Amino acid sequence: MLYVELLTQGLIYGCMYAIIAVGLTLVYGLLRILHVAHAGLFTLGAYLGLIVTNATGSLLLALPVSAICVGFVGMAIYRFCYQPILHKPPYVALIASIGLFIAMEEIFRLIFGPYGLTYTNAPLQSLVNILGMSLRMVDIVIVFGSVAMLGVLSWLAQRTRLGIAWRATVDDPQMAESFGVSVQKVRYLNFFIGSALAAVAGIFVSLLSNFAEPTMGGVPSYKALAIIVLGGLGNVTGTLIASVILGVVEAFGTIYVGDYLDRDAIAFACLILVLMIKPQGLFSRK
Amino acid sequence: MGIYELSLATIVCINIIFALGLNLITGYCGQISLGHAAFFGTGAYVVALMAKAGLPFPVNLAGAMLVAGAIGIIVGVASLRVRHDFLAITTMGVGFLFLGIVRQQDSVLGGEMGLSGIPSMGLGKPGFLLLVLVVAALCTAFSVYIKKSWMGFAFDAVATDEDTARLLTVNVPAYKLTAFALGTAMAGLAGGLYCYFTRFIMPDDFGFITSISVLSMVAVGGIGSVPGVIIGTMLLTLLPEMSEFLSDYKLLFYGTLLFAVMRFAPDGLAGVGGSIFGKLKGKGGLA
Amino acid sequence: MIKRITLFSLAICMILNFGGTIQAADTIKIGFNAPLTGFAAADGKSSSEGAKLAVKQINAAGGVLGKQLELIIYDDQAKPANSIPIANKLIGKDKVALGISGSYSGPTRSAAGVFQEAGIPYISAYAIHPDITKAGNMVYRTGLLGTVQGKAGAKLVGEMMGKKKVVIITLQNDFGKSLAAGFKEIASKYGIEVIAEYQYSMKDRQFGSIIAKVKADKPDAIYASGYYFNCGPLVNQLRAAGVDTPVIGQEGYDGQKFIEIAGTAAEGVLITTTLDRDSKEKETVDFIKAFEEQAGYPADMVAASAHTAVKVAAAAMQKAGSTDPEKIRQAIAQTSLKASTGLIKFNKLGEVMKPVQVQIVKAGRWHHYAVIDDSELLVPPEE
Repeated sequence: MLYVELLTQGLIYGCMYAIIAVGLTLVYGLLRILHVAHAGLFTLGAYLGLIVTNATGSLLLALPVSAICVGFVGMAIYRFCYQPILHKPPYVALIASIGLFIAMEEIFRLIFGPYGLTYTNAPLQSLVNILGMSLRMVDIVIVFGSVAMLGVLSWLAQRTRLGIAWRATVDDPQMAESFGVSVQKVRYLNFFIGSALAAVAGIFVSLLSNFAEPTMGGVPSYKALAIIVLGGLGNVTGTLIASVILGVVEAFGTIYVGDYLDRDAIAFACLILVLMIKPQGLFSRK
Repeated sequence: MGIYELSLATIVCINIIFALGLNLITGYCGQISLGHAAFFGTGAYVVALMAKAGLPFPVNLAGAMLVAGAIGIIVGVASLRVRHDFLAITTMGVGFLFLGIVRQQDSVLGGEMGLSGIPSMGLGKPGFLLLVLVVAALCTAFSVYIKKSWMGFAFDAVATDEDTARLLTVNVPAYKLTAFALGTAMAGLAGGLYCYFTRFIMPDDFGFITSISVLSMVAVGGIGSVPGVIIGTMLLTLLPEMSEFLSDYKLLFYGTLLFAVMRFAPDGLAGVGGSIFGKLKGKGGLA
Repeated sequence: MIKRITLFSLAICMILNFGGTIQAADTIKIGFNAPLTGFAAADGKSSSEGAKLAVKQINAAGGVLGKQLELIIYDDQAKPANSIPIANKLIGKDKVALGISGSYSGPTRSAAGVFQEAGIPYISAYAIHPDITKAGNMVYRTGLLGTVQGKAGAKLVGEMMGKKKVVIITLQNDFGKSLAAGFKEIASKYGIEVIAEYQYSMKDRQFGSIIAKVKADKPDAIYASGYYFNCGPLVNQLRAAGVDTPVIGQEGYDGQKFIEIAGTAAEGVLITTTLDRDSKEKETVDFIKAFEEQAGYPADMVAASAHTAVKVAAAAMQKAGSTDPEKIRQAIAQTSLKASTGLIKFNKLGEVMKPVQVQIVKAGRWHHYAVIDDSELLVPPEE
């Protein structure tokens, strides 16, 4: 029974990680940038979602509003921050992104205060009994929601013109361009979708703890990097699998190995181990 | 110099040693390390334990360098298997692993409570600053020497194009390992000096944020440029003090500065300096 | 062009700022280091607000030795690498009469060393690391030692509540670890069996796996350490998972934010702390009211501790009749002052000996539950 519970918790963590990490791997796959500021968009999404929910009482409204706004902010970040430095060595974009992330965290603290915000009436808190475990609606929504969203993403990538254009651009931008694909449009779309996903992840996380704070992007900023590397940089399926594996490893690890290593160390020990055996990650670039 | 200026100068010099170490790895050998703080921390803990055991400080500092360098070689071996971005994340992982282990070692390493009561070197504040200055100067000279020497050529080749370097029979793995060993030993030395500076160390001093800070110092200064890294380090270390008038907006300013430098002057201060020199030279020349 | 001018003027400002603060006429200066930016900004804000309130009140009542108090606050971002230059600046440049730390253990301990060496008194408002006062006779602490509070927690759980099977959930930092250490040290004295201990890191907000395990452990009580941003979510998630076991916390929960986050799950949670919201004591009542008026949010333990530290400092200077550091130190050592966090008296080491307040959440606010003043239990170490 305990193991089922731990496994379930691991699955929930994993799905949460997946939504955050997929956005990051999309950006990496396309542009080879370690987009640390992605975590800042995660936080922005959480704040926006919380504020809209508190103001209107409707989470259903808050989700798309936040996702769309953050999507646009993500596009703006690409246009003004990354596009001009695409041809520079990779550490330039990395540090620019880190600087941006620090600035974003500070802006959140200055505008919303250091103490964080809470929901006046947190939605999705009703309890559900499954297999003897007491879970909250938000736990269920995270798992099914992430599966649904990523399923839609996968369908988009495989079955629509847009998706094919995107995949072509990832594989060979010049070739894609010669076929009439607007590389610029694909990039914008990429950032929009990735950032929107980050926003949704942020809202889910804030629902889990009834709390949005300026530094909530801190852990995702580096955890998500570890996940996308574990999954194989640029590989969406790999990222998904890596997320769930990591979620489960952490769930069991914090209980049984917690006396020797803290949570982050467990995640990274796992990563280093895998990389030593498979230097390209679990799945190499598709 | 009042005690305030003394303490500032001391921490600046310690950071310079720390950053020059990273410059060796990142700048000279083109390998991004996001876990440099782990070696800084290793040096600090080694010195703390040895100093508390009553050993004299030169021995302790040497010990710090040796242990940090040795661990650097181990990490360096790992770096041979992974490339570029994978390497960056692996080094990040090393940083977290180091921290994770140290935090839970209550017995020897003090765990979360850290180590305190570290005896002073006995040199007094000005004496200590002098020592740190001398060490920083030596590290600077060493870095410049490496750059100009045949080792520097090899490092450069590896940084620019690893595969071609291999074709030219440059023993790439050996040079990568050497860069790691030297760079991490320097970080260990800086960590040891830091330990004597604060006389109390806790795991939190050596986390991811510290790794990012030192990487920023190197990047803002200009990766690979010794004068650039020195100036970049001075600037970023003194920034909280200089921007005191910004009070609540200090960290925002820091983040924005970091972003702005990378966005508008990606070659760092060295690049800016280089182009100014270039312009001056150009004016005097053919015009 | 405009960009260049802006950058240039900014550069000039920064260089000029290096010259130091403008000296106000004839005031007594108290130095204060706090984490105003960075991850600990919430506590930095509270502690500096508490200190500012105290200074305001003291000045309104005529100041100290006929002069106004001036509080010089610097942001150390909770890092020792910053707090040491700040300590040197306060001593060397600003020439403060004494220093107060409104920051965490790391920066406080390092700065304490600097103050001790310079022979200037230094008071730690709430940082709990035992080695802070070991820096020397110049260093005092107005907050409770972590281990002392942990012991009080054990008495509360084992004797006053009668719960014997306890699970400990520990925050992995000096705060959490010293609380757990104090608790475990005398747990057996009160018949407590610690059936398990789990640890989590300061960054954790989701506790699903620990909660699942705790459910399987079926304890009588849960002794959980952490700050409001850890334990708020923890308690919330515990109750949602169907764990009704009583939760006992400490001063890290102390604040309205914990209750806001945990919501209805916070009802019945007990904590050991030093601020009694229901206190009839004039100092406490006045402080709580004045703080909420000034800062705009309810007072918490950190603010109260900083407030207390300033009061102790001012009273000591008044009693000493001068700003001579050694005289101030002697006066501090003899302090017997009623402050918002209780009656402050120091022992030889500089640790405070005072009763522990137990508060409970009722109807969404903190209220009085009990007081633990077992002096034998609560006596802090002498060296």
